[in-house]
Amino acid sequence: MPQIARLHAILWGVFSMGGFIAAFLLPVLIYLVGIAYPLGLWPAANQDPTTSILDHRHLGTLLLFVTVAGSLYHGIFRFQSTLTEIGLARAKRALEAIGYLIIIIGILATAIYLLQYNPGFFSLP
Amino acid sequence: MIREWTSFFVAVFSLIYIYELSLFASGAKADALNLLRNPGVIAFNVLALLFTSYHALTWFYLIGKIQPIKLGKTTSKPWQALLVNIVLLLIISYAVIEILVLR
Repeated sequence: MPQIARLHAILWGVFSMGGFIAAFLLPVLIYLVGIAYPLGLWPAANQDPTTSILDHRHLGTLLLFVTVAGSLYHGIFRFQSTLTEIGLARAKRALEAIGYLIIIIGILATAIYLLQYNPGFFSLP
Repeated sequence: MIREWTSFFVAVFSLIYIYELSLFASGAKADALNLLRNPGVIAFNVLALLFTSYHALTWFYLIGKIQPIKLGKTTSKPWQALLVNIVLLLIISYAVIEILVLR
């Protein structure tokens, strides 16, 4: 398999994995953080869910990283390819470059912020 | 095409949440929580939940269409994959709430 085709297959494979993550984990995160907490609904009526999740140092940090990184990759990758399908094909290279830049910076930033919040993540439980 | 556009909400929510995490990491938790209480952000999050759920359900249906499972002489239908994955989604969502929020 040529190198570019292999890279293409890997990128679509990661996109597909991000799709699973976005499908199974993102709805509950949006509900907890973006709806239940500000509107005072179950189960986040009295506590901020991000703090509750991050209090479970290893599992919580890992869940937030996987959910945010996977969803960001899936969302940007799909949105960027949709833009090329609706008439921006000429700007395909530029869109891909911007898309991957956002994905890389976003994933690195997520990891850095989570480790800043939970510096003992790599220590044993 | 609607399905493709829902990925916009998946991406934007992720970016907003990364910003939230940056505020948490820098110790500005109160600012992060105030941002979540902004009516515009709540409205966006309601839309994001609707579109993300639509994105998830159509993804489950597509899985059943692309990769049907053969069991003896019968082959699974896309709606069966949709149903099984909805049940899985509910179990996973409840597990996240029970293990990471309520405990």
